[in-house]
Amino acid sequence: MVFSSIIFLCIFMPIVFITYFLCPAGLRNILLLIASLVFYAWGEPVYILVMLFSTVFNYLSGRLIYMFKNKLMPRQAKIVLVISVIESIVVLFLFKYTDFFIQIVNTFSIKEIPLMEIALPAGISFYTFQIMSYTIDVYRGHVEAQKNIIDFAMYVCMFPQLIAGPVVRYGQVVYDIHGRKLEWQNIALGFQRFVTGLGKKVIFANLTGALWEDVYNASAADTSVLLAWLGAVAYTFQIYFDFSGYSDMAIGMGQMLGFDFPENFNYPYQSESITEFWRRWHISLSTWFKEYVYIPLGGNRKGLPRQVVNLFIVWVLTGLWHGAAWNFVIWGIYFFVLLLIEKWFLLGILQKVPKIIRHLYALLFIVIGWVVFACEDSGSLVSYFKALAGAGVPLASDFAVYKLYTHIILLLIMALACTKLPKRFMFKIEAMYAAKHPAIDKFYGEKIHFWIISAFTFIILILSIALLVSGSYNPFLYFRF
Amino acid sequence: MNKSYKIYVIIMFMLLAVPGLLLLVLPEREYSSNENRYLDKMPKADLQEISTGGFQDKVTNAASDQFIVRDFMMGLSTAFKKTLGFKDIGGVYIAKDSRYISKITSSDIVSDTFIQNLMYTSYFAEQQEAEVYTMLVPSSGTILGDKLPAFAPFYNAGSMYNTVNTLLDTSKIIDIREILEQQESAADIYYKTDHHWTLQGAYAAYREYCNTTGIQKHSYGSFNPEKVSGSFYGTLYSKVLDFMAKPDEIYAIRTEQAESAVVTCDGEEKKGIYDKSALSQKDKYAYFFGGNYGRMDIKTGSSTGLKLLVIKDSFANSFVPFLLGDYSSITMIDPRYYNKPVLKAANQGKYDHILILYETSNFAGDSNLYKLTK
Repeated sequence: MVFSSIIFLCIFMPIVFITYFLCPAGLRNILLLIASLVFYAWGEPVYILVMLFSTVFNYLSGRLIYMFKNKLMPRQAKIVLVISVIESIVVLFLFKYTDFFIQIVNTFSIKEIPLMEIALPAGISFYTFQIMSYTIDVYRGHVEAQKNIIDFAMYVCMFPQLIAGPVVRYGQVVYDIHGRKLEWQNIALGFQRFVTGLGKKVIFANLTGALWEDVYNASAADTSVLLAWLGAVAYTFQIYFDFSGYSDMAIGMGQMLGFDFPENFNYPYQSESITEFWRRWHISLSTWFKEYVYIPLGGNRKGLPRQVVNLFIVWVLTGLWHGAAWNFVIWGIYFFVLLLIEKWFLLGILQKVPKIIRHLYALLFIVIGWVVFACEDSGSLVSYFKALAGAGVPLASDFAVYKLYTHIILLLIMALACTKLPKRFMFKIEAMYAAKHPAIDKFYGEKIHFWIISAFTFIILILSIALLVSGSYNPFLYFRF
Repeated sequence: MNKSYKIYVIIMFMLLAVPGLLLLVLPEREYSSNENRYLDKMPKADLQEISTGGFQDKVTNAASDQFIVRDFMMGLSTAFKKTLGFKDIGGVYIAKDSRYISKITSSDIVSDTFIQNLMYTSYFAEQQEAEVYTMLVPSSGTILGDKLPAFAPFYNAGSMYNTVNTLLDTSKIIDIREILEQQESAADIYYKTDHHWTLQGAYAAYREYCNTTGIQKHSYGSFNPEKVSGSFYGTLYSKVLDFMAKPDEIYAIRTEQAESAVVTCDGEEKKGIYDKSALSQKDKYAYFFGGNYGRMDIKTGSSTGLKLLVIKDSFANSFVPFLLGDYSSITMIDPRYYNKPVLKAANQGKYDHILILYETSNFAGDSNLYKLTK
């Protein structure tokens, strides 16, 4: 099931949440587990078995690791950990990378191995990473093993973050699993957050995604430099609003259920360097790679050459995590190179140039990165870059001008919406009001603020439903993750 | 503050749950007359279908089709997109003068199919003793290019007509582009909310038809055109569902033959060529002949003794009435619904004239014209 659907919004969500609020606290975990399994089975009626297998396997692994550690048998604990990590990697590899691997082998061998054409189970990369963080953290002694299999299964399968993140590490929610409380404030604010995310997805990402789709499929006669850049910008917006919209929905629903999920995006397009961009983009994934790959490999503690190698490994893996295709590998290496250059000397230079130049520099390389990300076959990648560079295509085409002027309002609104400006503007207005009417503000300020946001989310929700009902373009971008 | 939170949460959940509940309990709608199509309905659960996800997809589609206040929601979506400055919605251009024009771009025209269809037509014509005329009605976007939004992509009809001229006998091609463009109020050739041409548009084409075939033409007024409806929201409106749309007027001719002709539609005999019941329905264009049938045989009551066969799409329905006085019998075959060999029917009918009349993009995309060779 996807969040941006009538079935989820009008049937699944009310039933699950209302039952959840009404049921006794002791039953909430099992209710949440059942709801999550229904949610997952709706989209993956068969592959749910894969998820359940991994869940049970790693539940047992966690128990064993914990037991061996308590009995001071670190060797055995390590063996179980290695087995459990291998299980996760094998499952992920099998379902996600088999065909990619066969293709690589085929390029070197004479005999052609047929592709397996295994469909990728939704969310497998997210829940596998969550599971791995769990067994590793138990081994490291950061968390205790979960004794209750229902509670553990609920952590792995929880529907808010199951199919599109954020990657919630076990340690981040361990206290919420047992001790969470329902509060009207959290339900209300979580709902606001959810609707904000829904709007980002259904209004911004879907509308701009349709633009990208039109540009990507444009005929050669319609292509121009302007069109290529317009498409690249459209995709840049689409992926941000889609992905951060999903994260907002997940975090919002988590808050409604009583969980405190980690933030995943922090205005990434406001960054002034690529280094900063990766501190603000898909934070839970970067943190995961840092915690479980980069630092264990030695991080920056084993000398510069080793650090460069470690970074390279992390970025190739980050690329591959997003999809089993070469463009994702190139995309990862692209950022590896940029980050290395920034570390080496560019950050120093950037310090001295005006802020606007730093922004433009970062945005340019972010946009180019997304083009690599979006063009999955090398042919379209090359021709797209040619169009961006103006090789053999005109500067502008009627089609580009048409698409530009019919989408310019949307693009400008989105450009504003991915910065902190709207929030700051609202605070400023409220501060001005408070200065003028201190008495009213003191008693009603909070209330007014809440209801302004509430009215806003009310409109967004109705608009989102309208767009969904009218059957506007509504893709799911994470089927490759 | 807690009270505010409570009220808000309850309002928002109601907003989601009420339509959801109604989705489950309300009887399902079969047909949307506004959108002019059958709606998806909730499927029966089937284990096999659930495992492949087919069931879930059907439920997803049904949920949006059966959604309460669906029409209003679609209108809202259109209003929002228009506010953002979008100029095409659901495959329809929001054109000037509150007019809608089908968005047909060059990628919608499959040139192989188009050429194939011309070959079928040419083969068909060679097999006939009768004169075979071809009239490809331009798409509204071709004639009303100046009404399209600025820079809006539209397929290049010129190059298609060039292909027509090289593949068919040029003396039998009735090219009405120029005559339509020369119309005093070009905007009156096509309906504003429907993709069909209006009575005036069809009349202009009739004059050109007479010029080519040598039939004596009559003035527009002599046909006694009369307004039959002022509240026509056509197929283009159905795709956009724009709150701001203004209805079209439908005119029809009032001649003796139009009232007294005997029309046999797929075996069923009717008197007169008009279907008055269509005027109280959504698709009012079906006033002409009651819509599309595989085969219609018209005994016009005229005594000219001439026989005409029209192989056509729905554009012919408002064109043929002008010819009722000129032919004793007119047969219309719509290959989309006619599942018998068309060539054979044409040979057996001993027609004096045969007219192939299609809207250009329909002709280019039709997958039934192979029937012309059978």
